[in-house]
Amino acid sequence: MDTYVITVLSNIGMISFVALSAYILLLSGQISFGQQAYFGIGAYTAGIATVMWQWPIAGALVLGALAASAAAGLVGLATLRLSGIYFAMATLAFAEIMRIAAELFVYRREIGGIETGPDGIDGFRDIRYFFANDISPFQSCLIVYALLAAVLASLFIVERTRGGRLLRQVGEDPLLAEVQGIDVMRVRMAAALSAGAVAGLGGGLYAHLMTYVEPRSFDIMLGVHALAYGLIGGLGTALGPLLGVLIDIGLLESTRIFRGYRMIVFGGLVAVLLIVRPRGLLDEVAINRIRQALRRRRRAGG
Amino acid sequence: MLDVQDIVTAYGKIEALKGVSLAAAEGRITCLLGPNGAGKTTLMYSIAGVLKPRRGAIRLGGVDITGQSPSAIVARGLALVPENRLVFPQMTVAENLEAGAYQRRDAAEVAVDIERMYARFPRLKERRTQLAGTLSGGEQQMLAVARALMSRPRILLLDEPSLGLAPLIVEEIFRIVGELNKDGVTIFLVEQNVHMALKVAHHFYLMEQGRVTFSGEPGKLAEDEVIQRAYLGTSRQASSHKTG
Amino acid sequence: MAPVDLAQNTLDGLMIGSSYALLAIGFTLIFGVMRRLNLAYGPTIMAGVYLGTAAFISFGAPSLIVLAIVIIGASLVGLYVERLCFRPFGEAARTASMVASFALWMQIEEAAMHMLPQHMNPFPPLLAAPPLEIGPLMLRADHLIMLAATLLLAGAVTYLLARTKLGLAIRAVIDQPRAAAIVGIHVERIMMLTFVLASAIGGFAGFLIAATDAQVTAMMGMWATTKGLVAMMLGGLGSVRGAIAGGLLLGVLEAHAQWFLGPQVRDMVAWGLLFVILAFWPGGLMGAKALDRTMAVGRRV
Repeated sequence: MDTYVITVLSNIGMISFVALSAYILLLSGQISFGQQAYFGIGAYTAGIATVMWQWPIAGALVLGALAASAAAGLVGLATLRLSGIYFAMATLAFAEIMRIAAELFVYRREIGGIETGPDGIDGFRDIRYFFANDISPFQSCLIVYALLAAVLASLFIVERTRGGRLLRQVGEDPLLAEVQGIDVMRVRMAAALSAGAVAGLGGGLYAHLMTYVEPRSFDIMLGVHALAYGLIGGLGTALGPLLGVLIDIGLLESTRIFRGYRMIVFGGLVAVLLIVRPRGLLDEVAINRIRQALRRRRRAGG
Repeated sequence: MLDVQDIVTAYGKIEALKGVSLAAAEGRITCLLGPNGAGKTTLMYSIAGVLKPRRGAIRLGGVDITGQSPSAIVARGLALVPENRLVFPQMTVAENLEAGAYQRRDAAEVAVDIERMYARFPRLKERRTQLAGTLSGGEQQMLAVARALMSRPRILLLDEPSLGLAPLIVEEIFRIVGELNKDGVTIFLVEQNVHMALKVAHHFYLMEQGRVTFSGEPGKLAEDEVIQRAYLGTSRQASSHKTG
Repeated sequence: MAPVDLAQNTLDGLMIGSSYALLAIGFTLIFGVMRRLNLAYGPTIMAGVYLGTAAFISFGAPSLIVLAIVIIGASLVGLYVERLCFRPFGEAARTASMVASFALWMQIEEAAMHMLPQHMNPFPPLLAAPPLEIGPLMLRADHLIMLAATLLLAGAVTYLLARTKLGLAIRAVIDQPRAAAIVGIHVERIMMLTFVLASAIGGFAGFLIAATDAQVTAMMGMWATTKGLVAMMLGGLGSVRGAIAGGLLLGVLEAHAQWFLGPQVRDMVAWGLLFVILAFWPGGLMGAKALDRTMAVGRRV
């Protein structure tokens, strides 16, 4: 398969993790401009694990996800009582603090005769685990999608169980949920922890596929995009954010139609779409209709 | 002066007004009574332009004002004293009054009117540099009425002015309403306090569940029947409530 | 630390803080009337400044013309943002309109980069004079002008709000929009005017900053949004006085942080402060009363 296609597909896959991360929080009724921080924490942690501590990739990815989740939990303790813009600003603040901290974070060691490790603003180079272990770009792409599929499957399962319902209830009307006896804080915390883990997992993958990450990779633009993907693609299903990623990266990037004007088009598209469909293309209404149509077809077919 | 015909106003899919028709004669006091949730405030907001009716027509002094913006309707001589008063809490009493005169261009006359308001409502004069949000309920009601009067309206709409106020203050409010009417202002009044309302009204309507169910003069219905229907709905409904 | 350093840093901080204050005023005005954050505000200012820069580079336009272009440019872009991101969205879609403003942020920044692809561009300086020396303290003359201009503008805005009919209408819409409609104020028009006014103020702030630096960088949009937001939140959402206080405080704190801990930490100060305040005192400098009001507003967002 063409290397370029593989690269684009891998990008779509990895960015989907951050998009899903923002999506989970959106479902719980919180806007987060800061999921990129957990993406970054996952990236750096997993990278350090394989490069500096010689961990296997699986362990590193898990560690990255856990570190990100833990950070999300700590931030959540401080911020989940906040709502609306206050919460959004707090998440943004944390993400920027993390990004600047990464510019100051230096952890160098000599590994195999070469000095490697995160080097402040110059970033973290030579995360070469895949290369060193003969994992081809195609195979790494498969790994990304395998893990993405696992995350999606979990989300689908959660959506169908009580957890998913609770999440959406809290998101729609926290006061009502409170009155109905739902522990809103606990639901929000669960959402924050899982969103952090998902972003962290994606970050770990990102570090290894890119082999190089720098603080700038995790700036506010990433967070904005993550949010926008869910809002464009739709909040009715976990596939919604993926649709958003697909539209942005897949169409615009790969066809290079709007070379150099991508943001102008994407930005305008988002704004217009939000006017027409505030909950995205695949919003709850659309998903309901699709489900009903599928049900009817199933009944008619058998 | 005010002619409402078959107004339907909805919130999304829920129709709060299902075809309301009534009229407020010029120079008279017309009252609208009814239980909570009947749609009285929705009607007031529909007339004042805050809500747009889906169907029907509203005429003020013969001119069609249906669906116009609140500022256009104020320009035509209508003023609303809204439910819950809605004063500007972070602005002073004096500024609230100034805001009431927003559309007027005659600054000197506005100043004279403000003094007139202070004469009529001495407690407002005492508090004129105080923030409106710190006033008591009764004072805020006075302020809301005074603010509405600042635009020198032809017709004054009042939405539940007695709500949450002590009986003495309620009497004062109704006394003022009577005085205003004598000065020539048409009054359209929504109330829960049936007794006081019937004392001042020249004509009244009963509204239940988005429809007008009675129209007549005070005395046409016995007061207790009016009270029962205003609080519990029509006698039919009241008994069906009993049987569940 | 020597008291001279303390004084010098404080002075420098106040200077830069005054521009933060202007940015915060703009954010506050928009937040006050629209009940939403305009995240395209920084880029709006940047677009205006870039237009002025283009005029300077292409035609050698003098400072006053550049100022006019910057202000008008920012106002027009602000109008564009208002039409697309705020006018079409009602009460129910606040989230959507905020995210839409983020989207326009990206859009406007890219458009600006097309106008001037260089990362750094020259800008007509405010004053080419040597720094003043007041005892042991150094004071740049152009910084002083910036501070004076800021105070003047802040004063003008406060005067507008407190003593004019337009100001009364704006405050009414900020305070209680439904009542504002009921007394006959054209709420939509006031919202639009406030938006444009805020954009113009932002343009002025952008001009001052660019002129004291004698250059403009591509980071301006991000910078303006960051500082303005933090300054506004520091002072308590929705209060013009708070915006000014927040801006000045932020400037001073940053100046000291930079002195002790270096430029990166200086940037962290703004965000760190914001985070801590949100976590513990969401009401900002203006305290609990502002908190009640703005929490009610914030909840609706």
